[in-house]
Amino acid sequence: MSHQSTSMGETLKPYSRAWLLSDRPTSRNQARLGRAYIIWRRFAENRLALIGLGIILALLVVAALADVLAPHNPVQGDLMNARLLPPGTPSYLLGTDDQGRDILSRLIHGSRLTLFVVVLVAVIAAPIGLIVGTVSGYAGGWVDAVLMRITDIFLAFPKLVLALALVAALGPGIENAILAIAVTSWPPYARIARAETLTFRNSEFISAVKLMGASPFRIVLRHVMPLCMSSLIVRVTLDMAGIILTAAGLGFLGLGAQPPLPEWGAMIASGRRFILDQWWVAAMPGFAILVVSLGFNLLGDGLRDALDPKEAGQ
Amino acid sequence: MIHSLHAGIRLLSTSAALSLLLAAAPQAFAATPADTLVEGFAFDDIITLDPGEAFELSTAEITANSYSKLVMLDPADTSKVVGELADSWTVSDDGLTYTFKLKSGLKFASGNPITAEDVAFSFERAVKLDKSPAFLLTQFGLKGDNVAEKAKASGADTFVFTVDKPYAPSFVLNVLTATVASVVDKKLVMEHAKKVTPSADYKYETDFGNEWMKTGYAGSGAYKVLTWRANEAIIMEANPNFFGEKPKLKRVIYRHMKESSGQRLALENGDIDVARNLEPGDMEAVTKKNGIQLTSAPKGTVYFFSLNQKNKNLAKPEVVEAMKYLVDYDAIGAKLIKGIGEIHQTFLPKGQLGAIDDKPYKLDVAKAKELLAKAGLKDGFTITMDVRNTQPVTGIAESVQQTLAQAGIKMEIIPGDGKQTLTKFRARTHDLYIGQWGSDYFDPNSNAETFAINYDNSDAGTNKTLAWRNAWDVPKEYSDAAKGALLEKDAAKRAAIYEDLQKKLLATSPFVFLFQQTEVAGYSSKLKNFKLGPSFDTNFVYTVSKE
Repeated sequence: MSHQSTSMGETLKPYSRAWLLSDRPTSRNQARLGRAYIIWRRFAENRLALIGLGIILALLVVAALADVLAPHNPVQGDLMNARLLPPGTPSYLLGTDDQGRDILSRLIHGSRLTLFVVVLVAVIAAPIGLIVGTVSGYAGGWVDAVLMRITDIFLAFPKLVLALALVAALGPGIENAILAIAVTSWPPYARIARAETLTFRNSEFISAVKLMGASPFRIVLRHVMPLCMSSLIVRVTLDMAGIILTAAGLGFLGLGAQPPLPEWGAMIASGRRFILDQWWVAAMPGFAILVVSLGFNLLGDGLRDALDPKEAGQ
Repeated sequence: MIHSLHAGIRLLSTSAALSLLLAAAPQAFAATPADTLVEGFAFDDIITLDPGEAFELSTAEITANSYSKLVMLDPADTSKVVGELADSWTVSDDGLTYTFKLKSGLKFASGNPITAEDVAFSFERAVKLDKSPAFLLTQFGLKGDNVAEKAKASGADTFVFTVDKPYAPSFVLNVLTATVASVVDKKLVMEHAKKVTPSADYKYETDFGNEWMKTGYAGSGAYKVLTWRANEAIIMEANPNFFGEKPKLKRVIYRHMKESSGQRLALENGDIDVARNLEPGDMEAVTKKNGIQLTSAPKGTVYFFSLNQKNKNLAKPEVVEAMKYLVDYDAIGAKLIKGIGEIHQTFLPKGQLGAIDDKPYKLDVAKAKELLAKAGLKDGFTITMDVRNTQPVTGIAESVQQTLAQAGIKMEIIPGDGKQTLTKFRARTHDLYIGQWGSDYFDPNSNAETFAINYDNSDAGTNKTLAWRNAWDVPKEYSDAAKGALLEKDAAKRAAIYEDLQKKLLATSPFVFLFQQTEVAGYSSKLKNFKLGPSFDTNFVYTVSKE
């Protein structure tokens, strides 16, 4: 397939700015890339969103290169010689904790756990919410009623309380914490997906596909779900800060990651004992949580503006 | 809609972040009343207040302040035993019969008179209930079917106690100072007794008020217990019927405060008068404050972690020894327990007859690896450790986790509160357990028995010594030495037996002893006569007054 010329004979250099912005794309690919480019331009106009993106990219890099970046072993400390050293001590940039472990190294390795939690929760919860919401919205009737009442039941519990109950039943540990958070975070996605589905379930293009003999399964999967994606992505990104906080909260209460894992919430919990004299032990992981949550919020904000022009600026 | 949701989320995440920060800050309370002593104390280990069942360190302090026994340790000189309810006593020539004469005009807090009948009932009840501390009495040959005969009232004020062997009298009397020998109010207790259907395990038709006594009170001590709310507070009030010197303060309140930093702040703000669980860092900080003083007393409490011999890996003698080389004693002593304990590796605490202070073990990863290789565990193995989530054990557990990892042993920490970890330990379902042992009475036999005697290593064993709890089938030679020492009248010879036994256990027992506790309390200078006793059940509060 040729991408190089339009029917008018006008030649555009492929992948150039004009090619991307052309209002007469000659191929699907060009249309898609063009659309993506426009979204990126809208996104890039937002400085804060770029900062958010930067933070998240930095988090990814730090997590990927944790073994190279961390100056010390995150779980083996030097209790005898390096306990509770203040930030700025040579070779311990952010100080050490009560077991003589380097806080910076623990934060760096902890970023993996944070990402692990966020990604897994998103991967588990978003598809569940999407399926429940689209099926419920498209099918209507008693299917809708049953699915939405189940959703209501989950929404009726405060998120952290439900997660606490689940972890208490499953036993403490980071996998169980992830499961608990995922179980508690899908209902809002189901609601959003259902609302989106309702707006176009009776529209003409759906009727057209129906007339062509598409099965309801195909319609939901190929025609409804893709249209719900953008608002869902926005919502998931915005939720990530909440997920991090819930995971940290569980870790703080001793129900998430267990020692010696350098989970940020658990680090705050163990630093709490020293908060009066050695503030850095709790403050450093707290700061890390703050920055990363902020990053996800800013990114989500920017994504919403870019993906959903009708909501922007409201 | 998305926008408003989004604002909500921002608000939520901000407030969640803030509440994370705030959770660390203690709440402020009003200054303590002039007639009330308020202690900040971690007492999450309390399971019951029934002296016939309770066997926990914190409960012992409450029981000691609210119940009376026949005899007590002389607070001024712990090598002596003085009468509490007993006015005098005699020992028969064959060393088997002890006759106690009670003081006259004694009354329980309820107003009921204290008679020898109550004393006999208290012994009978403890033996028949057969809970954790019952072995203290049953070791004298008391059983459910003979206790009425062996511990009986021969008159309103005469109690006769018959033992099965001619033990050293000081040993018998020392045991009777334990909280299980506390005298309960028979009339009051039986009013609250519940009917039970006898079964194979429990042949009696009454629970002897055990259920009511869980939170109830039927004693005659300086203070009476008004309320115990688990993990919240214990409130005691002066007992107007107390036979001894009247307590100076009207009320004593123990507030459950788990965090050392919380206790420190509350103490500095005057919300509590005494902080009982200060950690080294906070201890140093409060000493710099005006109006706060520190007091400390070496305790007969040793901290250890133990290896359940039901675990196949932990049962290997090489692994047992390797574990002893995988603890960074020096760093723990210098950093984690500075001021609250001293490294100690034998089972008898300093101060008891025959105690030795050998410290042959040091962190030696190479040696441990060698031993593990010999045991066929070159690549290490995985185990769990049950850890009560209070300091200093949590910190020590984490340190041990690191040193074990250096030899390839992956240790997972299972945190729990005192009740959970103890219950699991007593059911022998742990791998490793870290905890402390306070002597039940001030005699080396208390520790020698629990660490070196296992009467019946089957799951049905009723005498749940620490050796039993770790399923350690103690070599007969050791048990015999421990039992023999008990009947040895010559103090020097008795001491020699204990010294030898300590050395043997040091090398082969599945107990890794860590340190001996020094108890420290920070208290407001307004308090007069605040002292910590030499054991966990001699921290008396009735002497305390307030300016």
